[in-house]
Amino acid sequence: MIEQIRDKARELLESKQISCFIGYERGTRGKTHPAFIYNPQEVGRLVWDESCTHNLTVYLHQFKNPVKRGEPPPRVGILLKPCDTRSLNVLFHEKQIDRARVYVVGLACEGVKGNGRLAGRCQRCSERLPLVYDLLLGEKPEPTGREDYAEVADLEAMSPKERLAFWAREFERCIRCYACRQACPACYCFECVAEQLDPPWMGIAIDLSQKQFFHVMRAYHLAGRCAGCNACEEACPMEIPLSLLNRKIAKELEALFGYKVGQDAITPPPLATFKKEEEVPL
Amino acid sequence: MKAMSRDRLLAWLEELAGRSTLIGPRIVGEKILYKPVHHSAEIVLDFAKTDLSAKEYFLPSTEAILSVKREKKGFDVEEPSLHGRQIIFGLRPCDARALRVLDALFLNKEPADPYYAERREKTTLIGLACREMGDECFCTSLGLAPDEANDVDLMLTEMAGEYAIRAVTAKGKALLGAAVLQEVEGVPPNPFVRQKQVPILEVGKWPERFDSPFWAHLSDRCLSCRLCTYVCPTCRCFDIRDVELSDKEIERLRAWDSCMAEGYRRIAGGHNPRPAKAERLRNRFYCKFCYYPQDFGPVACVGCGRCIAQCPVNVDAVEVLEGLSAL
Repeated sequence: MIEQIRDKARELLESKQISCFIGYERGTRGKTHPAFIYNPQEVGRLVWDESCTHNLTVYLHQFKNPVKRGEPPPRVGILLKPCDTRSLNVLFHEKQIDRARVYVVGLACEGVKGNGRLAGRCQRCSERLPLVYDLLLGEKPEPTGREDYAEVADLEAMSPKERLAFWAREFERCIRCYACRQACPACYCFECVAEQLDPPWMGIAIDLSQKQFFHVMRAYHLAGRCAGCNACEEACPMEIPLSLLNRKIAKELEALFGYKVGQDAITPPPLATFKKEEEVPL
Repeated sequence: MKAMSRDRLLAWLEELAGRSTLIGPRIVGEKILYKPVHHSAEIVLDFAKTDLSAKEYFLPSTEAILSVKREKKGFDVEEPSLHGRQIIFGLRPCDARALRVLDALFLNKEPADPYYAERREKTTLIGLACREMGDECFCTSLGLAPDEANDVDLMLTEMAGEYAIRAVTAKGKALLGAAVLQEVEGVPPNPFVRQKQVPILEVGKWPERFDSPFWAHLSDRCLSCRLCTYVCPTCRCFDIRDVELSDKEIERLRAWDSCMAEGYRRIAGGHNPRPAKAERLRNRFYCKFCYYPQDFGPVACVGCGRCIAQCPVNVDAVEVLEGLSAL
């Protein structure tokens, strides 16, 4: 598959259909990291395997503006896994990314691994095929998993007091480095509430109350928008199980509205729309 | 050579924890962090390095430096008193050297920072030599050694189940006091040191590399988060802000800040001299290897490798330093 990826990237770059191809390359110390290929002669750097965990969609934000004033923004090619394409659909729907300015090489995916184990989201993945693409590479692998929200149920089984203690213990480790937010394709606010000076919604203190405020606020802002790519959790240096907050909300959205994030770029997300006949208990 | 057995060491630490604030490496979640220790059983003795440095015990991630209360007549201004004496156990040589780096700014440059100075004065450092350099470590390229004892008060080195112990300063000697030590034969083994040296460009060679496209390429994948600066033992930027506690009381807080943050350099009127993440990432390296040595003396990197180990997108300081010197 890697040769097909490289061939396509080369072709797109040589024909000047794109100015950059975003994929993965081998980094230092056996790690794999995002790659930005501008020169068709360098497509050999590209790799694809189970170590390609990052959601590259987050990098599309840095290509939204024209390089030179008066020109259109650059068109880019990007390599996406099925889960990443859900993020892309969210960005299309929110008019952040122009469909015409991105060429998507979508991959059938058997899952990625972190620390030698199949990632949690991959164990639960029922898609395995990208939802949006210009070129699809690979065959749909079997079998697929199922999201059963098991870890969320564990949390729900706790008493409110226990749950508060659980999150206090987890957030205590947070250092407010914002790696979670920066790795998140859906966190693209020009100015984050956490850093806004006027009004100062959030203080500068790196203490438990501000940390809890930040993470709960972020989870709420991602309600109906989090595609479950787990980039936040993978970026967190303190191994805080951030995705549990997002999955709890995803579970509620699915139960209330039968809605799953990022399936297409058209369906209005339930929290961004309203139907007269709706009766939602408040 | 004076030494303590492992059990004797733990008993001594238990005693220290009973009469002073003892901070040592502990398992918190799945991380190893310097945290207050109440019983020596909480201490981890076999660890490579902690996930965060010990800088928060000198420059806390958040501290109140002033509180102002409106009284019936006038105002009551109070400076919260700092905590008492503290002992940090298990400090690695790189983290101890990092304090010397911070001293250059906070102590040796007038005016000294009173909060840092008081904590530094009230703290006794018990070093624990590394047995080997970790995968990301490059301390030897910065003039350090995994068993460097010059920056602590008391140095411990593991040897065949015993801990060789050496008082480096009077403070260390005083802390050791009447602790029972035994005499052991021989000297501690040399730590495992990797021969490879990372090239550290001298200060004068940095300016010519400022405009290199190297920085834009490197920063393409940078997430522009604050992780590298917060896990760094020598990054020391802070912000100060007054917080309204009630309509009668405010508190002045000082908290960590980061040059990697988009708004860090934004000034009145909205102008941002470092709007692009490439400029911010470049600044971090220039600060460490060019500006800080120029202004304060030491290079602001001790080769602990935490930024390398923890960067989510594999921005690797060693690769950066090698890449730069090859330009």
